[in-house]
Amino acid sequence: MIKGILFAFLGGACITLQGVANARISESIGTWQAATLTQLTGFIMAFAIYLFVKDGGDLRGFTKVKPLYLAGGAFGSVIIFGEVTAIHTVGVTFAIAALLIAQLCVTFLIDTFGWFGTVKNKMGAPQFIGLAMMIGGVLLMKL
Amino acid sequence: MITGLLLAAFAGAMVALQTIFNNRTDVHMGSWATTTWVLGMGFIASLACSLIFEGKRTFELGGMEPWFWFSGLIGVGVVICLVLGVKILGPTFSVSVTLTAQLGFALLFDSFGWLGLEKMPFDWKQLAGVAVIMAGIYVFKFGGKKKTETPQPASSAVGETL
Repeated sequence: MIKGILFAFLGGACITLQGVANARISESIGTWQAATLTQLTGFIMAFAIYLFVKDGGDLRGFTKVKPLYLAGGAFGSVIIFGEVTAIHTVGVTFAIAALLIAQLCVTFLIDTFGWFGTVKNKMGAPQFIGLAMMIGGVLLMKL
Repeated sequence: MITGLLLAAFAGAMVALQTIFNNRTDVHMGSWATTTWVLGMGFIASLACSLIFEGKRTFELGGMEPWFWFSGLIGVGVVICLVLGVKILGPTFSVSVTLTAQLGFALLFDSFGWLGLEKMPFDWKQLAGVAVIMAGIYVFKFGGKKKTETPQPASSAVGETL
């Protein structure tokens, strides 16, 4: 339990750290270059792990995946570009807050309508209240 | 200001989509194959954008500092942590903790200017705002959703590797 919380917490810290690191790298070599570099080194590392662990899956399985889903990885480029540019213009806190709210809103929409073959989920009042609170929190920061 | 928020929101929307797509990929390929694939695609797309918008400057890496070469490893660490977190806690609790940490550290990075970022003056409104957002996350995630939790495949974490 504590271990799980620790992992989840550390993961979150690393997500923010990565955004900030990309923002810093982009100051030196440019934003698209930063996105290219981090994903290249991340790719090499992930591929090495894939080769060494037993239950890493099978890359050849890609023939069974819809092309649209396979292309999802390419979003990484615009995600990093958007996040880094946002961090430079509005700071880390605002950038991350806006990013998370949009992320939850879109997930909410996808779940509600069952897009992309997701199981349709009726979202209730708590989800609306939660989203309203999050947006309220962003407005509060800007008061 | 508005541009920055819109760009961040756009990135968030893409993360949401990518998370779903990665889940679909994970079913057929497994976790590390998916992570490898996703980062490979991201690399190709970024390189293409860089060549289009920056041209030859893509390869002018004059300002490189040694640690830049290792920043990609953070993403791999993220995947490992999120996968283990979800495995131990289940997606709802685990993701809530992760989002909380993300926001909390964002505030810390702004306030202390770590990694040479421009320091943003800390004020209590910021902390109060972040607290309200965190509370909202927990209401959103735990609020009586009639949902049979689908086990989240490992690579759903990848979408958030950024």
